Amino acid sequence: MDGLNLLKKDWKKRESDIPQLSYDQIYKMLWKRSSSIVKWIFVISILEFLFWALLTIFMADIDYWTEMERINLKEFTVTVYVINYAVTFFFIYCFYKNYRKISSTDNVAGLMKNILRTRKTVKYYIGYILLSTALITLIYTYFMMDYHATNTVVEDMEKYSFTSIQWIKFAGIIIGGLAVFLGLLWLFYKVLYGILLRRLNKNYKELKKLEV
Amino acid sequence: MDKELEHQFVTNLEKYQNIAHKICRIYTNDQDSHNDLFQEITIQLWKAYPKFRGEAKFSTWMYRVALNTAITLYRKKKRSIRTQDFDTVDFKIKAEEYDDETEQQLKVMYSAIQELNDIEKALVFLYLEDKNYRDISETLGITEVNARVKMNRVKTKLKNILNP
Repeated sequence: MDGLNLLKKDWKKRESDIPQLSYDQIYKMLWKRSSSIVKWIFVISILEFLFWALLTIFMADIDYWTEMERINLKEFTVTVYVINYAVTFFFIYCFYKNYRKISSTDNVAGLMKNILRTRKTVKYYIGYILLSTALITLIYTYFMMDYHATNTVVEDMEKYSFTSIQWIKFAGIIIGGLAVFLGLLWLFYKVLYGILLRRLNKNYKELKKLEV
Repeated sequence: MDKELEHQFVTNLEKYQNIAHKICRIYTNDQDSHNDLFQEITIQLWKAYPKFRGEAKFSTWMYRVALNTAITLYRKKKRSIRTQDFDTVDFKIKAEEYDDETEQQLKVMYSAIQELNDIEKALVFLYLEDKNYRDISETLGITEVNARVKMNRVKTKLKNILNP
């Protein structure tokens, strides 16, 4: 018998051993789109990292470093950069791991767990950024004030010393300014990741409905 | 997301899932990759579904999208290991159904298919599915003449493997 015809016959015969998936099994596969959302989170984290990195490179020119050197903050700034990059890389790695995990999960329970984990990672990441920004700003303010207090020569000390009410006002302005800045930063991240997180959450809820 | 559309899609896919499974059989050689490709096909079909306006039959459209997925998308993702023991895979030959010689012949044929490239596999698949040249040309997006020429080449290639 001709080989190709034999093959065709056998092919037809095999039609009956094809595994059949149920409606539910196929339906669940559609929820794999979570994986593409998580992929976007990963991609955005990298883009965002590049954005900040480029911004720092442009802003941190020679003048910037000379100024830092002058106020004795060069070492501190370098340390902050190193730690910041390390932590950011760590988060990018986490996003990548989440993405790998979510795209290789078949069962609904695992997918739900991964969605929750991804949401948590994003929240930690945003939390880290807000906290570190607040901390670094406060430390810089302190150092700068300290520097000016010890190095600026003033003739009339009376004129430049604060009463306690003035100190409170000053601290209020600093904290208020910082709060507004952090609020804006928070808003930025809310927009950047919020849409994706909301979609993930929607998927999560749908999956939950499937489970019960 | 449109629930109605989703329901319609899953119902259709459930009905015609054989097509995707058979494509997975041709393109993969273990259960895991079979499932992976099936999943990928499902996702690609779903992504393309809003553009499917019902001008063609669902099955015709599915042949096209699913094969494209197997050819283009899956290829990038992973290369399956070629040197897998043939008996352990999807094409398990049922020994009791054929005599020894035929069984051997089939085994050789199926492993010969595994050696073909992705486009050739698509051609063999459509041939096995009894598609005429018009369907083949439409599914693969080539001219009918081209389909005929390519198909003959693949057939000759397979025959040569079978009778060296």
